[in-house]
Amino acid sequence: MNRRPAGRRIAVVLILAGLCLAMPPCASCAEKIIALDYRIFPGLAEMDGNWAALTVAHDGKVYAGLACHGCDGHLVMYDPALDRVSDLGNLTRLAGEASLRIGPQSKIHAKFGEGPDGRIYFGTHAGLWFNYARVGTKEGYPGAHWMAYDPKTGKVEDFGIGPRYGGINTGAYDPKFNRIYGLTHPRGHFVYYDVASRKAVDKGRINNFDSICRTLGIDDEGNVYGNFGAGQIYKYDPRTDEIIELPLHIPIQPKGVSLGRDYNKSETHWRTVVWDSQEKKFYGVDESASLLFSFDPHAGQYGEVKPLGQLCVEGMNDRRDIPYATLTLALGRDRKLYYAPPAKEFDYAGSSGIGVSHLIVYDLEGGRTEDRGEMRLADGRRVIGLNSADTAPDGTIYFVGAIEVRDAPGEQNESAGKIGNVPYRLALVIYRPKPR
Amino acid sequence: MMRKIFFCCALLMVAAPLAKSQRTPDYDSVVVPQNRIDARDLGYPPIDVIPDGESAITALAVAPNGNLYGATSGKRSHLFVLNPRHGYVQPLGFIPGATAVTNALAVSDWGDVYIGSAPAGHLLKYTPQREDEQPLRVKEPCEVTDLGPAVRGESIQTLAIDRRAGVIYGLTFPNAHFFKFTLTTGTSADLGVVARRAPEGEKFETTKMVSRMLVLDLKGNVYASGEDGFLFKFDNEKQALEKLPVQAPSIPGREPWTRVDTFLLDPSGLIFGGTSDGYLFRFDPESMMVSNLGKPLLEYRITGLVRASNGKLFGVGGDEDDMARLFSYDPQTATYQIFGFVDVNRRPYYSWQAYVVHAMAVGLDDTIYIGESERISKLYLFYPY
Repeated sequence: MNRRPAGRRIAVVLILAGLCLAMPPCASCAEKIIALDYRIFPGLAEMDGNWAALTVAHDGKVYAGLACHGCDGHLVMYDPALDRVSDLGNLTRLAGEASLRIGPQSKIHAKFGEGPDGRIYFGTHAGLWFNYARVGTKEGYPGAHWMAYDPKTGKVEDFGIGPRYGGINTGAYDPKFNRIYGLTHPRGHFVYYDVASRKAVDKGRINNFDSICRTLGIDDEGNVYGNFGAGQIYKYDPRTDEIIELPLHIPIQPKGVSLGRDYNKSETHWRTVVWDSQEKKFYGVDESASLLFSFDPHAGQYGEVKPLGQLCVEGMNDRRDIPYATLTLALGRDRKLYYAPPAKEFDYAGSSGIGVSHLIVYDLEGGRTEDRGEMRLADGRRVIGLNSADTAPDGTIYFVGAIEVRDAPGEQNESAGKIGNVPYRLALVIYRPKPR
Repeated sequence: MMRKIFFCCALLMVAAPLAKSQRTPDYDSVVVPQNRIDARDLGYPPIDVIPDGESAITALAVAPNGNLYGATSGKRSHLFVLNPRHGYVQPLGFIPGATAVTNALAVSDWGDVYIGSAPAGHLLKYTPQREDEQPLRVKEPCEVTDLGPAVRGESIQTLAIDRRAGVIYGLTFPNAHFFKFTLTTGTSADLGVVARRAPEGEKFETTKMVSRMLVLDLKGNVYASGEDGFLFKFDNEKQALEKLPVQAPSIPGREPWTRVDTFLLDPSGLIFGGTSDGYLFRFDPESMMVSNLGKPLLEYRITGLVRASNGKLFGVGGDEDDMARLFSYDPQTATYQIFGFVDVNRRPYYSWQAYVVHAMAVGLDDTIYIGESERISKLYLFYPY
């Protein structure tokens, strides 16, 4: 019997199957494109990442933290009234460490918060960790600084180092108790800075280095919530200064050995949550499958979690290679959740390849999910991946992330690096929802 | 040829998940080899475990029958046991009145466990009673006998036991009293202080420098470190405490802030120790010579030090802000081996790294027990061979 034709057919089938797996999802959605406005950060093309660090203040000004691995991060502000981006400062210089030539203040890795005094509060973070070979050494990262930017004076107040040798990987600001909260990397401690008493407090270990929850949620009473283990929720009560583990879990999707970035993690948590001040509950997505859920902390004795669906690119729902979730959940003024998942595993220069973000919208009133399609700039350039979002008082949704760089009129071809073989840079991406 | 293509394609199809089966592979080169270490929860999760905030392991001791006893510090202290035959940690209850037990567990020849408590400074006795038949006790108190305060007004910093003589020795905090407790009579004697004043330092530095452990030599004499890093000896024959003319090693000028973190007695009669600056040293009680064996790690402190039956020493270094690392020292060749971070990766079941370690012990079978000392803590088992 001649086996050669059969063997050739088998090989072709296998190769085609492999190509199918590598194809981007949702071929039908490639026809849907949503055009977005954007602003670059002039003079800061070197900035190579942004995670969570985006907040719109009550006056509409947009604050972002831009990261630079191996170099100094920056605090920037976009004023939509003047349509101007300003560089508010080099983080290492603001920390007074510019001349030390030690581990720089490379990032703001968490959401800012606006205080009752109008100041913008945050904590800084490191960029490179070298498998922790430099933790605690002279030349290593000295520790995160707690800081506040005052828009009235244009100055940053440095409250000093919070966690020694650790960065603020996750953070949130509570205006009620006037505290900046954080989870540190790499030692996974729950920490906070009490602005009124000028005290930095360390409540101790909460996670392993590989699984630090990326978002802390704060409710209307000032309680702080995070995630650990297999999606279990913990609560920090500022009145008792205690951390309590709640018997509540968010939905997570067990999926064996993950093919995505979360394969590095040993636990599965929520990736991001947003507080709905109208319904007084959180909405969030889990990190490994972008499962959407609500968490009502005031329901019953411990609170209540409800699964609501999945916010991912259409067609990716049950795929093993569904990308690690992004930090781009925002609650619009129109009672819709906006979320921008990537089409491929996205982590800036660490991405698994080039893809295009989608804009997913979940209508809280109708409970419907809609994939509005690929996010592109007006000139067709791809929005490759986004990792922060916030909503302005006028309903504008702002994101920060990576846009494709090509020679474009009025812009120099500057990039922070490549994703796949495509140069990228950070940009403020702007979406203006249509009024209801 | 087609068979080869077929095989390669099939291999590629399955290779992707396998190649990414765990965390970044290069991290495994900076941690203890993963086939030689494991970890245990302090109880039966998720409910019957020593609670977070009460689980920092700060004392470990191996009983004559091979059982490992451990004590924790935090909002409350707990006692636990690990019987190597079963291999799991059995919480025995919280220790009444105690929030800290620091290197203050001592097990007598007949198996009673003596606990030096803080802040009250009472000596407590726990008598094992058919532990295999007992339930896990987390919310319940451990059944102990209160033997009274060791030195009034002082808490207990560390204990050591002379099993043959039936005597327990200890150091107190904050005033560095050296005391002796006789098991047969149940009486305690204050034998003097090893540090009269805190070293000169910043205004917030008010702690007297005393060793975090005690050690007995082959003759039953007891050693501690005290003021300015000097070694102190309680002479068993003379029944007197004396300051020796030798100090724990340090950079010249750092003596006032130097203390011995860990001691161990080698069967040869030599005593090894680790200092707060992270030096390993050898002390010969006969010749009164201290030899500085150098620093195995960049970090400060050697917070645990044990000896395996092949003569090698194993230790852990690093302070509260660090990431602890395990090392070994071979006295035969005077060489160090640095194993790396104390970490266990058993995904998908568990994965946890100990950043702070405050206790170590070695079992009768050479299993080395490492006690993590953080808000959430595990007990690690390291197999030296």
